[in-house]
Amino acid sequence: MTMRPGLRKFVLTVHVISSVGWLGAVVAYLGLAVAALTSQNAQTVRAAWIAMELTGWFVIVPLALASLLIGLVNGLGTPWGLFRHYWVLFKLLLTVFATSILLLHMPTVSYLAGVAAETDGANVFGLRGELIHAGGGLLVLLVTATLSVYKPRGMTPYGWRKEHEQRKPSLSNSP
Amino acid sequence: MSQTHVGPDRPPYPGTPRWVKVFGIIGIVLVLLVVIIMFTGVGGKHGPGRHIPSGGAGGQTPPIEHGVQQR
Repeated sequence: MTMRPGLRKFVLTVHVISSVGWLGAVVAYLGLAVAALTSQNAQTVRAAWIAMELTGWFVIVPLALASLLIGLVNGLGTPWGLFRHYWVLFKLLLTVFATSILLLHMPTVSYLAGVAAETDGANVFGLRGELIHAGGGLLVLLVTATLSVYKPRGMTPYGWRKEHEQRKPSLSNSP
Repeated sequence: MSQTHVGPDRPPYPGTPRWVKVFGIIGIVLVLLVVIIMFTGVGGKHGPGRHIPSGGAGGQTPPIEHGVQQR
């Protein structure tokens, strides 16, 4: 099933916006984590935790899910496919991995934001973990963005077989 | 000669590109590293449990950071 060019361009645009938005939101989250880690002001640390929770649930999670779902539509609706080219396959695996870690980690962020909101002091025990999670997420997103731009050559064995199965009929019909 | 979709005249698969092998090795090493860190306890407990005081059931005492000044 291949999308029409107009629809294809629209889906690609939404995919790029959601993916780049996800990357930008993770950078903002990382900035909050660094501010909370380095600040000596309890209010700043507490506010950073609350902002991190809100950013996570209301910006990063929706953008991650949108990027994954629209990416699936984009792959399935274009000749690129999902499993034909290594760069697409790597992007898919990395996005599924990053989204899974994000969804598994967000309850921890909510717990720590709750602790920070309810106490006079602020908890920074979790911040090293936040830097590792957010930094790792940022690294994964930078890799996927780079793969999207460079599109390094290389077909999977499945893609190679499909490519030549599709070429055969068109060659047999050629004069 | 009839045309079949899978035939012997299909060019052989050129093999896995080098960048894929490099990415694969880096990925496997990173995953193994994370698994080792998590299961050996080098990185401490993982998940919300690491923030709950060891003696308390349900985290009644919030872990307050000692270095933060109150203003």
